[in-house]
Amino acid sequence: MTSSAMTRPGQRERFSEKIGEIDWRFAILLTVIAGVGVLMLYSIAGGSFTPWAGNHLIRFSFLWFLMLCLALVDLRVWYAMSYPVYAIGLLLLLAVEVVGEIRLGARRWLDLGFMSLQPSEIMKLGLVMALARYYHNISAKDAKWSWKLLVPVGMIGVPVLLVAHQPDLGTAILLALTGLVIVFAAGLSWKVIVTGVVAVGAAIPPFVLFVLHDYQRQRILTFMNPEADPSGSGYHILQSQTAIGSGGPLGKGYMLGSQSQLNFLPEKQTDFIFATVGEELGFVGCFVVLLVYGLIIASALRIASTSHSHFGRLSSAGLTATFALYVLINGAMVMGLAPVVGVPMPLLSYGGTVMMTVMIGFGLVMSVRVHRYLELPRGRGLF
Amino acid sequence: MSEPSIFFEDVNERQGGFLRRTFLMGAATGLGLTALTARLGYLQLIETDRYRTLSAENQFNFRVVPPPRGRILDRNGVVLAGNRPSFRVLVVRDETKDLDGTLDVVAKLLPATADRRRQLLRDINGSPRFAPVPVATDLTWEEFSRVNLVGADLPGVMTDMNEVRYYPFGGAFAHVIGYVAKVSDKDIKEIREAGKSPDPILLNPGFRIGKQGVEKALDEQLRGSPGGQKVEVDARGKVVREDREGDRPAIPGKDVILTLDADIQNRALEVFGTESGAAVVMDVRNGDILCLVSAPSFDANAFVGGIPSRLYRDLSGYERRPLLDKALSGTYPPGSTFKTMTALAALEWGVNPAERVSCGGSWRFGGRSFACWKRGGHGSQNMHEAIKNSCDVYFYTMSLRIGPDKIAQVSRAFGLGEKFDIGVAGQKKGIVPDPAWKKRYFKRPDMQTWYPGETPSYGIGQGALAVNPLQLCVMVSRLANGTKALNPRLIKSIGGKDLPPGSLAPNLPYSKEHLDIVRGGMQAVANDRSGTAYRASQLGLGPVLMAGKTGTAQSRSYTAGENRKGAGKPWSQRDHAWFVAFAPYDDPRYALAVLVQHAPAGGARDAAPRAREIMRTTLLKDPEIRARIEQRMTTDAPPPPIDTGEEPDVMAPPVVDAPVQGRPE
Repeated sequence: MTSSAMTRPGQRERFSEKIGEIDWRFAILLTVIAGVGVLMLYSIAGGSFTPWAGNHLIRFSFLWFLMLCLALVDLRVWYAMSYPVYAIGLLLLLAVEVVGEIRLGARRWLDLGFMSLQPSEIMKLGLVMALARYYHNISAKDAKWSWKLLVPVGMIGVPVLLVAHQPDLGTAILLALTGLVIVFAAGLSWKVIVTGVVAVGAAIPPFVLFVLHDYQRQRILTFMNPEADPSGSGYHILQSQTAIGSGGPLGKGYMLGSQSQLNFLPEKQTDFIFATVGEELGFVGCFVVLLVYGLIIASALRIASTSHSHFGRLSSAGLTATFALYVLINGAMVMGLAPVVGVPMPLLSYGGTVMMTVMIGFGLVMSVRVHRYLELPRGRGLF
Repeated sequence: MSEPSIFFEDVNERQGGFLRRTFLMGAATGLGLTALTARLGYLQLIETDRYRTLSAENQFNFRVVPPPRGRILDRNGVVLAGNRPSFRVLVVRDETKDLDGTLDVVAKLLPATADRRRQLLRDINGSPRFAPVPVATDLTWEEFSRVNLVGADLPGVMTDMNEVRYYPFGGAFAHVIGYVAKVSDKDIKEIREAGKSPDPILLNPGFRIGKQGVEKALDEQLRGSPGGQKVEVDARGKVVREDREGDRPAIPGKDVILTLDADIQNRALEVFGTESGAAVVMDVRNGDILCLVSAPSFDANAFVGGIPSRLYRDLSGYERRPLLDKALSGTYPPGSTFKTMTALAALEWGVNPAERVSCGGSWRFGGRSFACWKRGGHGSQNMHEAIKNSCDVYFYTMSLRIGPDKIAQVSRAFGLGEKFDIGVAGQKKGIVPDPAWKKRYFKRPDMQTWYPGETPSYGIGQGALAVNPLQLCVMVSRLANGTKALNPRLIKSIGGKDLPPGSLAPNLPYSKEHLDIVRGGMQAVANDRSGTAYRASQLGLGPVLMAGKTGTAQSRSYTAGENRKGAGKPWSQRDHAWFVAFAPYDDPRYALAVLVQHAPAGGARDAAPRAREIMRTTLLKDPEIRARIEQRMTTDAPPPPIDTGEEPDVMAPPVVDAPVQGRPE
């Protein structure tokens, strides 16, 4: 591997050189998580590749190669694509408002004929890229506190409100938090941060009382006291905790988890798959999985910190933040530390859309790694 | 991997700030992951046991296995109440997609369920939604297979075989043993009021509880305790696997053995025909009740599956009251059978049995005329003759002489007015009147006085006096036993453990000579050609003789000069007929009391022949008595009678020795 910036002109543009710059360790860590996902999906299907494990494996393999290809895409292309992707995401969100398909009581899906699309997933990428590009072009002083910050507020606020209106509170919160992480990483003034936190804290009670839908409020109440309604909405949390707790230190054994095998665990293949890990593989299994997640996040942040371009830093940090938020929110939810919001455990949970978002995002992160020496001039793009 | 170049290259404010903030982000993520790990540790390392229990409760269900109910047997091991298999169809509301549709299909297979549709819907909707509710029971094999064939694919329809209570003798034991039926809210309330918590098995639809008689009194012993079948279920409660090793077997209820004898009991019910009444037979050596019959009876089996309301209305509306246990719960004036008590009281208080009283057919006292049952009168009577002829005038005279207190004292010593501990509920105490009782019983002061005019009718077993047939049988048993104040015993053993016999009782406070005089009178009633029940009392069992006493008791007051003949009057206005007896006279073993309620003729004509038949059956069931009769018949075959004194070439003197042979105690 090259360890110096002293290279011959054009050397880094060479394909073989780029391949060598790929962070294989990172790619393997992702494979470990997806592999555990395949194992668990195989188990909860009662020892069968259908209906989940096989699909999961195929999707991951495909997306893994896609990620490697994206890693080789020039960072300037990513930079140039930022605003268009954001714009497309926004348009699709608006389209969903108008013609979206209602599934499970929420309008989230756009039927494209050949596939169903969740525009909020595109927005997760688009928002990070667009914010990174915007911050790339303003000074540190402006990023700290100036009128120019109104733009990021709008860039975050509009899609968040649209997604929240679907209603998909989980994704809306995730989008908002991701956006705020970038604003934070770009250097927002601490004074503003503290003021903001206080203000939000004060706004939460009225928000819960007047803005939330009944079912959303119910979820929060249930989270506070799941035992109050064990067979109703407290069921998910209780059953999930039971699955994890009953696993004990070493678990009940692979394919032997009664909670997941006998369907006591709801959404066992998607949002609650981590509970199956807890039940069948125990504390040791969970710890290893969380450790791998931690390593992935650490590696991704390290990639962010090595980039020479502000766009590279901010975009990879933002995508890492999205990933970390997924892990933390899902983990907390499954263990009964957070209310039930529809956030999956990335790469472990079954579900193509989220996996696609995550893997494309990591494609950008790996591209930042490959192109870490690239100096992006301000204010320039292909489009 | 580390590349020091970046720390020196392109150092500007943006990058420095970014690195610090990224470090903070990393730290925050690390903190979050640590918090998750801590939570995992709490759930999986500290609270493991709690969640393991919760998980096991999810995974395993105990399906209740109802215990087989204990059987009820007679003294010889004949089954009086047992269990028989029944094929059933059950519906689980929770598993049916559409209850009405499911019942439609069931009705197509079993047309009988269509008629009970409304009742079934009420049952099913009234039960927990996951509990199987029986919709049809006692199916034939053909019906059962039909349902199994089609219904197997029908969600929510199950078939199984369970045990149903069965009373092989139908009505003969209906009052004593009672019956089982569905558990009602009232039953649960009763158990709660008794300070116990109801067994959860009782809430199982299809479970039966004892409602009457022995079934009710010993319900807890007969019930047993339910077992559990450990099954693995999924989240929808569907059974995934059975875990044989986790099964807890049901503990069957205890068998209860009664002192009753099925043959005697059956014969007793038979001899009543359509008449109403009761018969009680006791072993005078140990107090065992061999027969406790109330007629007419009803088929206890009809109650097990839920009695149709029309049948119930018929049973409860019939004037001969088949649902009432007349042997225990009916009280009646004992009539002339009570003269035994009056006679004994008179003897105890110094009346010379040889003293003669002249009977002219009626007797005047206090401006009233008391009639003797024999219009022309009996002439001069001593005590023996008065008992034999049942002369009313003699007993009017004697009772007036000794007074009501003494009569009451003797009656109570012989068990009248007493509630015996025979293990089943429903005994009525009746009334043994005396001046103290009147004071207690009546509120109005003018009613509280005992008038001398009441005593003569008391002496012949009328007036306020009321006893139940069991008490009267105990009275005869104590007379026949001659020593012990025997207690009746109905339940011989529970689960193989014997209950104390009725002979564990104090001795009677009366002298043997006096008792012998009364018994002599009873012997004459049955065996003296002029005795009131001579014809009806001949057992035809050779040397085994019966002693008895007839009784005809007014069930109401007659108007002056009214014809007392029962025949031709409406049933409810006739007199009650009694006969009490014991046998063999020379070595008493069995005592009986027979009541024919509102009999057409009277004690000698209606009660005594029935009593004779029941007594014959009882005696012939006793192997020793049988041996005695048969020995007499074979040794007697050629003419010479035994009491001629001539000793043919027979080794043993037959009659004298026979009763002694093999006496158990």
